[in-house]
Amino acid sequence: MRYIYLKLNKFIELFLVIIFGLLVLDVLMQVGSRYILGKSFSFTEEFARFSLIWLSILGAAYLNGQREHLSMDFLYRKFSKEKQVTATKITEVLIAIFSLVVMVIGGFNLVYITLHLGQLSPALHLPLGYVYMIVPISGLIIIFYAIYNISIANHSIKANIK
Amino acid sequence: MSIEVISMLVLFGLFFALLMYGVPVAYSIGISTTASLLLNIDTLPGITTVAQRMTTGIDSFSLLAIPFFVLAGELMKRGGIANRLILFAKSLIGSLPGGLGYVNVLAAMLFGAVSGSAVAAASAIGSIMTEPMEDEGYPRPFSAAINIPSSTTGLLIPPSNVLIIYALASGGAASVAALFIAGYLPGLLMGLALILVVAITAIRTKLPKSKRSKFSEIFTHFRRSFFSLMLLVLVVGGIVAGIFTATEAAAIAVLYALILALVYKGITITDIPNILLASAKTTAIVMFLICTSMAMSWLFSFEGIPQAITSYMLNEFSNPIVIFLIINLTLLIVGTFMDMTPAILIFTPIFLPVVTELGMHPVHFGIMMVLNLCIGLCTPPVGTILFVGSGVANISVSDVVKPLFPFLIAMVIVLLMITYIPAISMWLPNLFGLN
Repeated sequence: MRYIYLKLNKFIELFLVIIFGLLVLDVLMQVGSRYILGKSFSFTEEFARFSLIWLSILGAAYLNGQREHLSMDFLYRKFSKEKQVTATKITEVLIAIFSLVVMVIGGFNLVYITLHLGQLSPALHLPLGYVYMIVPISGLIIIFYAIYNISIANHSIKANIK
Repeated sequence: MSIEVISMLVLFGLFFALLMYGVPVAYSIGISTTASLLLNIDTLPGITTVAQRMTTGIDSFSLLAIPFFVLAGELMKRGGIANRLILFAKSLIGSLPGGLGYVNVLAAMLFGAVSGSAVAAASAIGSIMTEPMEDEGYPRPFSAAINIPSSTTGLLIPPSNVLIIYALASGGAASVAALFIAGYLPGLLMGLALILVVAITAIRTKLPKSKRSKFSEIFTHFRRSFFSLMLLVLVVGGIVAGIFTATEAAAIAVLYALILALVYKGITITDIPNILLASAKTTAIVMFLICTSMAMSWLFSFEGIPQAITSYMLNEFSNPIVIFLIINLTLLIVGTFMDMTPAILIFTPIFLPVVTELGMHPVHFGIMMVLNLCIGLCTPPVGTILFVGSGVANISVSDVVKPLFPFLIAMVIVLLMITYIPAISMWLPNLFGLN
């Protein structure tokens, strides 16, 4: 499991860096083309918006693996080690349920409906369902990370590693 | 009890319970929103709506400014720009009694403004200033107490990500350009108030001064930090003049900061993937909070909460002065345990209708709200900047609280001035004809 965890991390990191890099180039191209060529391409803004959705939601899934989401830990830090393990496990279970219900099932239904209605983006003519596909994919990744975090909770908290 | 009241109790009760238990904020918002919505509508449409609101809520070109300003800030943090700003500030005002104290305030303001991030300012300036201040006889808790509130002033001085988030939360009632230009005077006023507190302490406890800089030295340091400061002119000037949008300006800031950091040899080309990844992580934290908060604020309007609160407050307290006070107190309490981004996204839709009904401009309210929540960033139990600031100074949070207290009082006084004197926020936007 640790092998998959590390491989998955590497893969998402690479993906995030590429999307972010493209995002910067894309918007710079939009400004540049408007001032140098006097017109802007119609697809740059759409591409940027879709990349932001992917960057945000996939990035959020990645943060679950790193346990770096913002949380209020002033009560948590007062817990004993045993209680911290329990609290971490309960938190991860809640996150997994939310991801399964909203992101995987709700997200998949959203993708299904948009594809079924055949909605296309105006400039790129991309089916919007493909853009929303990142929601159920990230949901599945979050569930994997939750299971991984639960499996190592005992060890990592007692050994005081994050 | 009606179903609306029950679903509201579920929403807030569950949200605070999850938050306190240590569930990540974004998930606390998402889980309580989903649970509350499912009391009202069927399961499959309900969860599909939440998924849809989360996605379409961030499908916005203006939100793209956030990852770019985060990236530009990261480049500046690693690019040696903080040090140049400190030397410039020191040559200007280091020779007064308590000089390094003012230098800290000014450098944190400048760096907070150019980087757009209070966390970056607190860590970059604090890690450089703590040692030299200690050598000159400033106790560490006192220098941390100066650094922490000063770092938040950059959130008001443009460019500022939280003001962009507020513009989104206001549903277009306040434009980014107007908010940016409105932030200058309140930001400067807050800086002055903090400098005043340093001055009073400096005179009372006879803090040391550095030697006076020659004019040629000031000029040298100004030249060395000139290109960093030009970023402010370029970005804000371009937005206010309408040459480019906030998002395009942010992308230009990235390019500019990248060139500066490479020329100053703070980073090399091979550092870029790491910088992109670090910024992607910060971006995802903020953006995912926005995702679930957008679902929650959609639920608010679905349930008619803003209208209910508006009519309740207007009936119960007829006096605007009292209502503004109540809103400020609520936000101060919220700010002590909730981070700024979710607080803005959740409470703007609730309070904005009340204050606009009373004649407060949405831009004015945005400035008031950000300043109010800045105070919460510096207070226990959950002040992000308080933790970062005491972390870089290597002292415990409880040591900082006492010297920090006078600064917090000064911030509250500035908050009251901003609240009740609209001209401080609105004079500049009116002058430029921005709404």
